[in-house]
Amino acid sequence: MNPLTTLKEETRLTLANLADAASDLTVPSLRLGVTGLARAGKTVFLTAMVHNLVHGGRLPVFSAAAGHRMTGARLQPQPDDAVPRFDYEAHVRALVNDRVWPASTRQVSELRLTIDYESASYFYRKLGPGRLHVDLIDYPGEWLLDLPLLNKDYATFSADALSRARAKNRSQIAAPFMEAISRTNPDGEESEPAAQELATRFKIYLAACRADTHALSMLPPGRFLMPGDLDGSPALTFAPLDIPADAAPARTGTLRAMMERRYEAYKTHVVRPFFRNHFARLDRQIVLVDVLHALNAGSDAIADLEIALSEVLGAFRPGKRSWLSSILTRRIDRILFAATKADHLHRTDHDRLEAILKRLVARAEERARFRGAEVDVLAMAAVRATREATVKHRGEELPAILGTPLPGERLNGDAYDGNSEIAMFPGDLPANPESIFASVESVCEETRPSFQSAQADLQFLRFRPPELDRTAEGLTLSLPHIRLDRALEFLIGDRLA
Amino acid sequence: MTGPNKPSGRKPTAFRLDDTKVRMTDDETRIPVADEALVTQAFYDEDEPRLPRAASTPKAGFSFGKWLMIGLSGLVSLAIGLAVDSLIRDLFARTDWLGWFGVALAALAALGLLGLVIREIAGLMRLNRIDHLRDRLQTAADEDDSKAATAGLKELLTLYRDRPETAQGRKVLAGHMREVIDGSDLVKLAERDLLAPLDLEARRIVMNSAKRVSIVTAVSPRALVDLLAVLFENLRTIRRLSALYGGRPGTLGFLRLARHVLTHLAVTGGMAAGDSLASQVLGHGLAARLSARLGEGVVNGLLTARIGIAAISVCRPAPFVSGNGPTISDFMGELVASSEKADKIEPNSK
Repeated sequence: MNPLTTLKEETRLTLANLADAASDLTVPSLRLGVTGLARAGKTVFLTAMVHNLVHGGRLPVFSAAAGHRMTGARLQPQPDDAVPRFDYEAHVRALVNDRVWPASTRQVSELRLTIDYESASYFYRKLGPGRLHVDLIDYPGEWLLDLPLLNKDYATFSADALSRARAKNRSQIAAPFMEAISRTNPDGEESEPAAQELATRFKIYLAACRADTHALSMLPPGRFLMPGDLDGSPALTFAPLDIPADAAPARTGTLRAMMERRYEAYKTHVVRPFFRNHFARLDRQIVLVDVLHALNAGSDAIADLEIALSEVLGAFRPGKRSWLSSILTRRIDRILFAATKADHLHRTDHDRLEAILKRLVARAEERARFRGAEVDVLAMAAVRATREATVKHRGEELPAILGTPLPGERLNGDAYDGNSEIAMFPGDLPANPESIFASVESVCEETRPSFQSAQADLQFLRFRPPELDRTAEGLTLSLPHIRLDRALEFLIGDRLA
Repeated sequence: MTGPNKPSGRKPTAFRLDDTKVRMTDDETRIPVADEALVTQAFYDEDEPRLPRAASTPKAGFSFGKWLMIGLSGLVSLAIGLAVDSLIRDLFARTDWLGWFGVALAALAALGLLGLVIREIAGLMRLNRIDHLRDRLQTAADEDDSKAATAGLKELLTLYRDRPETAQGRKVLAGHMREVIDGSDLVKLAERDLLAPLDLEARRIVMNSAKRVSIVTAVSPRALVDLLAVLFENLRTIRRLSALYGGRPGTLGFLRLARHVLTHLAVTGGMAAGDSLASQVLGHGLAARLSARLGEGVVNGLLTARIGIAAISVCRPAPFVSGNGPTISDFMGELVASSEKADKIEPNSK
C-alpha cells in the first residue's frame, strides 16, 4: 500500500479510537468481530447469542449468567446511523417458527446489545451498576476475502489468481475463463466489451468453485460472488490478466492499464471502507469455520480453506491490550477459533473436530499468540439442530444423531423431503488431523489412499433447525446450543467480571 | 468409544425413524431383532450449575488490625532509621574514616534487607501460586473441565521442573496430557503418577516426627521440655513438608503457612477428635496397654500427626481427588506399636 494512504488510514483510525475511548468513559463498549467465510454461520451465531442472552438461556459456563450476576440484556439503538440494523427479530422468527436457516447475508448490518450486570468485585460494584455495550456486525462472508487484497497490487493479484486457476483441482472449472485469457492481449487497446466478457467468465468460474461439490474457499475478490449494491459498476468489472513477472508498467490506453485502474478503484471504494468501518477497530474476534462442509468436499477444499483463513486473518491486528495503547490503537486481545455445526457430529468426535480446526488455523493462532493475544479453539453449534442417540444395528453400536435433514439432502441414494426425522451416523473423524493434511500436501504418498478411503467414510447432512419445546403458557424456550456459553465466557466474560 | 482402535470401515448410515425396521426404545439393554435398527435417544442430565466458588468464600474483611500493624511497623522503621542516621553523624564527628566505615556497614545492612525482602516476597508468591493451583485443580476436577485441568497440570509440571526425582512422573503425566482425557481423570492421573511418591515421602516425614515426639514426651523430665519439643518438631515438619511439595517458604511465608495449618486444624480437628482419637484415648484401646507416661507420649504423637496431616493438605499443590489423603488412623497403629516396643524396652533398661 502507498505509504501516504497508510498514514491517512492510520490517522483516521486513531481519531476514531480517541472518540470511542471518550464515549467508553460513560458506558464501556466492546466491538465483537464475527468473522467467517460464507455459510460459516455468522448470522446464526449472532442470532443465537442475542437470543440466549436476552431470554436468559441455559448458559452454565458463562459465569456472569450462571452466577446470577447478569440482570438483563436488551437491544439498543446502534451507534452508526448509516448502517442497516441486523434484523434479529426476523431471523429468530425464521429459526423458531418456520424452522429454516436464515438466507445468505447480502449487506452489512449492525446491532447493539446492552448487558446489565453487577460486578463480582467490591470496588467496581460501588462505582455503580455495571453496563456493557456489545456491538455486533453481520456481513456477507464472501467480502472477507477482499481483505488480503489490500496489500496486493494488480500484478500480484493477477499472478495469484491465475496460478490458482491453473492448479490441478481447478483447471477443469476454469477452462472457459482461461480460454478467454489466452485470447486476450493485455497490452492491446482497452475495450469495454472485452473487459465485460472477461469479468463475466471470471465470475462464473468463481461461483462454480464455490458449489457444494468443490466447496473451495479462496475466491477473491469477494464482491464478485456477492456484489451488494455495486453490481455492474466499473469497479466490479475487471479480471486478472496474464502478465509476465518482469513486465514493464502498463502504458495508458491498454486493456491492462484499464484493469489495473479498476482494481485500484475496487480497493479504494469497496475494500478499504469496509475494512476501516468494520474490522480495523475490533476488541474481540470469533472466527467461525465450517470444517465439516470442507471435509465433505474433500482434501482440496480443506487445503483451500487453510489458505483462505491464513490470508484473511493476516489482515487483523491481534495484540496485548493496555490502557494507554487502547486509547490510540485498538488491538484484538482475544481470538476464538470455532468449528461451527458441531451438532452434526456425536459428542465423542468433538475433540477430533477441534484438533482438525487447530491444525487448520495453526499459523494464524501462532501469530496471534506471538503478538500477545489470548487464543482458544473449540467446536460449537450456535443452534443445536440435533439430539444424540445410539443405534444398534447388525451387531454394531453406532453413536448417532437424531434430526430432520433439509429437503434435498441425500445419503446413500436416499433423498429426504425435509419432514421425516432420521437417526444418522456420519462416520468417524480421523484421530490424527495430520492424516487429512498429509495427503493434501503430498508429503507422504502412502497416506493418500488411507485418506481417500477415510473420506468416503464421512458424510455430513444439513439438518433443519430444531423444534422448540413450549412451556404451558405457550412461551418458547431459548435456542439449544453446544458450547455457546463457553464461547461467550471467553469473548466477553472477563469484561463482566 | 473414542479409543484409537475403533472398528474401522464404519460407513455413514442413516435410518428413517418412520421406517418399519427402525424402532425407538428407552431400554438400552434390548437386543435388536435381525435386520432391525434399535434407536436409543441419549439424555444427559444437565443439572443446575453451581454458584462460583467466590459466593461461599468469606470475604477478607476490612481490618483495622492491619492499619495498626502498618502504622506501628512504620514508626519502628523510622526510629531505626533515625538511630542509624544519628550514629553515622556521630561517627563522622569523631573521625572521617570511622564515619565512612559506618556508611559502608549501613549499606551492607540495607542490601541484606533488600535481599531478605525479595526472598520473602518470592516465597510468599510461591505459596500463593500453590494455593491458587490447588483451587484451580479442584474446580477442574469438580467440573470435569479438561482445558482447565490441562492448564493447571502444566503449571504443576513447571513447579516440579527442577526436581530430578520427579522426572519419571512428569514424563508419564506429559504423555497423558497429550491424549483426550476428561478433566477429573487427568487430575486423578496426576495424583497417581506425579504426586504419589511425594505423598509417600510426606507420610514418612509425619510418621517419623510423630514417633520422635512420642518418645521425647515419654522420656522427658519436665512438661516444659515436652512442650518445646512438640513445638519445635511440628514447626520442622511443616517446613519440611512445604519444601517437599515445592513451597520453599521464607520466614513470613512460613508464618502464613503455620497460620493456615492452624486454621485447617481448627476446621477439621473438632470433627475428627469426636471419632477415632477420643475413643482410642478414653476407651481401653490404648490406656490399658501402656503406662501412663507412654500414653501421654502417644497422645502427643497423635497431635503431631494431626498437625502433619493438616500441613500436608495445606502444602500440597493439588487436592486429594481420588483418595482422601492420609488420616489419623493411618498413623495410629504404627505409633502405638512403636510406643509399645519402647514400653517393653524401657523397664528392661532400668
